[in-house]
Amino acid sequence: MGVSSPAFSPQHSQRQQQHFSSLDDKPQFPGASAEFIDKLEFIQPNVISGIPIYRVMDRQGQIINPSEDPHLPQEKVLKFYKTMTLLNTMDRILYESQRQGRISFYMTNYGEEGTHVGSAAALDNTDLVFGQYREAGVLMYRNYPLELFMAQCYGNVSDLGKGRQMPVHYGCRERHFVTISSPLATQIPQAVGAAYAAKRANANRVIICYFGEGAASEGDAHAGFNFAATLECPIIFFCRNNGYAISTPTSEQYRGDGIAARGPGYGILSIRVDGNDVFAVYNATKEARRRAVAENQPFLIEAMTYRIGHHSTSDDSSAYRSVDEVNYWDKQDHPISRLRQYLQSRGWWDDEQEKAWRKQSRRKVMEAFEQAERKLKPSPSLLFSDVYQEMPTQLRKQQESLARHLQTYGEHYPLDHFEK
Amino acid sequence: MGMAATAATAGRLLRLRAAGTEGPWRRLRAAGLPRGFLQPASADGDAAQRRQVAHFTFQPDPEPLEYGQTQKMNLFQAVTSALDNSLAKDPTAVIFGEDVAFGGVFRCTVGLRDKYGKDRVFNTPLCEQGIVGFGIGIAVAGATAIAEIQFADYIFPAFDQIVNEAAKYRYRSGDLFNCGSLTIRSPWGCVGHGALYHSQSPEAFFAHCPGIKVVIPRSPFQAKGLLLSCIEDKNPCIFFEPKILYRAAVEQVPIEPYNIPLSQAEVIQEGSDVTLVAWGTQVHVIREVASMAHEKLGVSCEVIDLRTIIPWDVDTVCKLY
Repeated sequence: MGVSSPAFSPQHSQRQQQHFSSLDDKPQFPGASAEFIDKLEFIQPNVISGIPIYRVMDRQGQIINPSEDPHLPQEKVLKFYKTMTLLNTMDRILYESQRQGRISFYMTNYGEEGTHVGSAAALDNTDLVFGQYREAGVLMYRNYPLELFMAQCYGNVSDLGKGRQMPVHYGCRERHFVTISSPLATQIPQAVGAAYAAKRANANRVIICYFGEGAASEGDAHAGFNFAATLECPIIFFCRNNGYAISTPTSEQYRGDGIAARGPGYGILSIRVDGNDVFAVYNATKEARRRAVAENQPFLIEAMTYRIGHHSTSDDSSAYRSVDEVNYWDKQDHPISRLRQYLQSRGWWDDEQEKAWRKQSRRKVMEAFEQAERKLKPSPSLLFSDVYQEMPTQLRKQQESLARHLQTYGEHYPLDHFEK
Repeated sequence: MGMAATAATAGRLLRLRAAGTEGPWRRLRAAGLPRGFLQPASADGDAAQRRQVAHFTFQPDPEPLEYGQTQKMNLFQAVTSALDNSLAKDPTAVIFGEDVAFGGVFRCTVGLRDKYGKDRVFNTPLCEQGIVGFGIGIAVAGATAIAEIQFADYIFPAFDQIVNEAAKYRYRSGDLFNCGSLTIRSPWGCVGHGALYHSQSPEAFFAHCPGIKVVIPRSPFQAKGLLLSCIEDKNPCIFFEPKILYRAAVEQVPIEPYNIPLSQAEVIQEGSDVTLVAWGTQVHVIREVASMAHEKLGVSCEVIDLRTIIPWDVDTVCKLY
């Protein structure tokens, strides 16, 4: 007994009501399929030796078991590397821009780039993504341009979201990435509903839902897991366990064996992976996708990683963790360095290319950034549209009222920065 | 309330209770209670033994002639009819919630699972936040989601999903995404014996939440037309069904689908002295009040059924002559 089963087991079985027979001494309860036991024994949760962590590369980027190497072509692995490093570069520049007062807020993805890119690469481009807020690499892998990342952070006229949300609340219909919302875990049952609709439509689509180990404590997470299992939905639950929910360490977030151990409790096939190993993330997501669509059942992937950066620009994590701890992850176990070592050992990358790429990616980001800064903000009239599909009378009156107000008092507002 | 005031009030209550100690028991004894607790309430027998409930009289509207053939339906049958029409017309439409598969605790979904299949009419686990979140997801994916919350009293776990998510989906995404094809239905309002948790009318909690529509019908004919409008409306809607009317309200309802517009109040009685605005069950109470006011006070009341709580029809209610 206990939850120390290996990856992706037990076998999926249709939960049927048992055939009722009062003549048998076997249990007849509709609620469980189990034998009787006459020894009083509590199941010991297994947290000392929890669900093992699947990995393909060691910390130096060397393949451990060759049969697990996905043997991805050079072009694809280079795309992994360039996406992760471009994201890292964009993060540095946008974090700095917040410090300088150019944007209001920012959240970095330091240390978790592997979870984004490994999983995104294993999906089809049309698989619908529901994220939390620390999955920008998924969008970047899907070629969301720097211009649009910047546009959303600056809230300028190019923002697809029309400048309505705080920075990093990206969304993209074309790239099948549902717009981020601030409340945590709300996306989880929504993703399950979308998966159900995809199943009904025979769309051959998987839905992937990202969330952190902190959000997994929310009631919505429990709701989502249970619905996905009972309604047999083709969904991948991808938990980024990065060690902290703002300042709250995992020891204060849960007492069980992480998030992966909860999956079997719902009847969900589950696995724990090394989130800093982009191939492990890739392999697990790829297999989960194949089976979720083929078998119409949910999968839970818990990607262990570490949040190297602060929670956001509003946080200073030195208040609750040591610099030594952060440095360990930055220097000794980073998804980017591990992949770089893999690339270099294959002869697919070298220091010169590294230097050139750093310069090039930095220049690309700076260009996008400077352009984003110069653009206007959206028109104030957009405060009132899209509340409903059609604008109701009350809102139209408010919109007109604001327009009249600005006509009279416009000089007191920075209208030059806004589109008319 | 301050400590001293609280103590004074409590003191007054205790004194009242002591004074009335003998009274109620004496009345019960006279009613024959000690003779046996389990005597059935008899029609000709003691009035004290029958459960007393406040009354209202459902007032049916005249048979609608403009929508084709009609059938006598009560409110839950009108709801079933609307759901039947929806699932027939829209192949993406699904109905889900607690106990909807066998027909629902108020029989609103009877026959639909057999007719449309178990992938379209199905039970969910007992979790309102999950039901609404799941429904939002179905709608985001482009299908029509008709979610049931078993009693409006239990809508609160879903409040975050409704207010923070459903209502804001279109606005916050710059119209990239929306959950307009979500409708939440829920039995609503007092029924006499429901007490705190089977009687609530929580529309006020949603009345100031831009992005959703809240609709409450007064009758079977109104219910079918308004529910169909909610389901077809491109915004997330909450449709509260007055549970006391499920059986008590019976009138002629068109068999074919028809729409009653949202955000349009109805002046169901003209008047010149005062405007009375009501919705749901209370419309019938207010109609009686209007009659009584006319008869006993000589006051001419205008009666308006608001129908949609948000966005509400300001112009009809506040029309200036």
